[in-house]
Amino acid sequence: MLDLLAQTGLNAVYAASYISLVAVGLVLIFGVMGVLNFAHGELFMAGAYAVVALYADAHLPFFVAVAAGLVFVGLLGLLMERALFRPLKDNPLGGLVASIGFLMILQSLAVMGFGVRMEHIPPVTQQVIEFSEKVRLPVARLYVIVAAVVLLTALWYFLKRTRFGWALRASAQDPEAAALQGISITQTARIAMFIGAALAGVAGALTAPLVSVNPHMGHSVIVTAFIVIIVGGVGSLEGAVIASVVYAVVHTFVTTFFDGVIADITGLSLMLLVLIVKPTGLFGSRERA
Amino acid sequence: MLLEARGIAVSYGKVSAIRDISITVPEGKIVTIIGGNGAGKTTTLRALSGMVPIRSGEIRLGGTRIDTLPADRIVAHGIAHVPEGRRIFPDMTVEENLRTGAFLRRDHDKVEKDLADVYARFPRLRERRGQRAQTMSGGEQQMLAIGRALMSDPKILMMDEPSMGLAPVIVEEIAVIIEEINARGLSVVLVEQNAELALDLADQAYVLETGNMALEGPAHELHDNEHVRAAYLGI
Repeated sequence: MLDLLAQTGLNAVYAASYISLVAVGLVLIFGVMGVLNFAHGELFMAGAYAVVALYADAHLPFFVAVAAGLVFVGLLGLLMERALFRPLKDNPLGGLVASIGFLMILQSLAVMGFGVRMEHIPPVTQQVIEFSEKVRLPVARLYVIVAAVVLLTALWYFLKRTRFGWALRASAQDPEAAALQGISITQTARIAMFIGAALAGVAGALTAPLVSVNPHMGHSVIVTAFIVIIVGGVGSLEGAVIASVVYAVVHTFVTTFFDGVIADITGLSLMLLVLIVKPTGLFGSRERA
Repeated sequence: MLLEARGIAVSYGKVSAIRDISITVPEGKIVTIIGGNGAGKTTTLRALSGMVPIRSGEIRLGGTRIDTLPADRIVAHGIAHVPEGRRIFPDMTVEENLRTGAFLRRDHDKVEKDLADVYARFPRLRERRGQRAQTMSGGEQQMLAIGRALMSDPKILMMDEPSMGLAPVIVEEIAVIIEEINARGLSVVLVEQNAELALDLADQAYVLETGNMALEGPAHELHDNEHVRAAYLGI
């Protein structure tokens, strides 16, 4: 029993890692742009397909493919900023609807380029860390955990300790007041879109060998991410990370001891409960932070 | 003339907010814009700092045209704008707010010196440097907003309703601070509903009524003007 608990705990840590990468990016984009990016799940999918194209098909080293996926999806973020969100910036609903359109475009491109079948990606490594006979952590999962810790720590440092990080937080809290300090809102929007998209892309790229890659894989990712940011408080980066851990633990344990459908229901119920008890989310204080 | 606006007009959609407004700010002086609610005071200030585009006219700072620049470039030319309602960054600490005011500056030694100056002027801000800005009182937030503006090392400090919502004793304090800042050579543009306070502090005054310039002149003359006394001073 103790083994099962430990193993499920490890699975939860892995799930929390990639969920928090996706959710933090979503919150960052919402905070700075004021737009809920419905295409965020498809940015995750695009990162996974970067690994399909460069690692599985072109036989480049896995981490080269992941780095390329990060940059490629970051650039998709820049494209969204320029083509969708900037022209629609006085129309918050417009940005949201445009992101839904972009989601469909990305899905269609993936179908056209790769087909609807599930992609087979050769395992990156067969290595497994054995804590005991029944408690095992595949190294491929460890990569995801390490990447999440490193990237989220780097993001925290960037936001709290650097000039542009402050500019980003200032424009998320009050864009007009930020402009009055000489901060270019266009520039902070670009930075937020690149980072937010790249985090989703790297999560998709790293998990590609571990999940079933297909053009519609973004759907479950975006639903999970929305639950997490609502529980954590829309606009709160810390809230997104903590809610990712809470959600991953609950979902993983319920999946293990009951099944996946009940786990999904439990996750949604958790969101409803938070909305009833504290509508701003666990860490949200206002509409935007 | 440090700042000169000639015949500026601003519209929001089809609604005209201000028409043919001309204002000049001499170096080292306090200029005030008074008027009732919706007279266009805030719009005028927002036009000067580039927050709203002007439809006609021109704005020059030290001879350079600035009305074509976006707000974040105008700051670099030396205009600091303390917006209505203070608009501090609520989730940042007091010190982060102040340092954000120096965002564009590269003269790091002078920035540290200016930060020390702001703390000397506002000891309360030094005490609360690590505290989140939203936890402070209205008066403290106003001081933070002024301190943040000073951190950009401006030539002109523009303030929109600094007395709004503050207790009379704090308003007194703010008035003293404005005089001190001006005494050190900084030009001030003060927008106020509190006409008594504004006319006491200012050298030059403008009176806006429904988007038009109604009166202008030396502040002490306007203070004695029949119309101003009846409409704005309640005497």
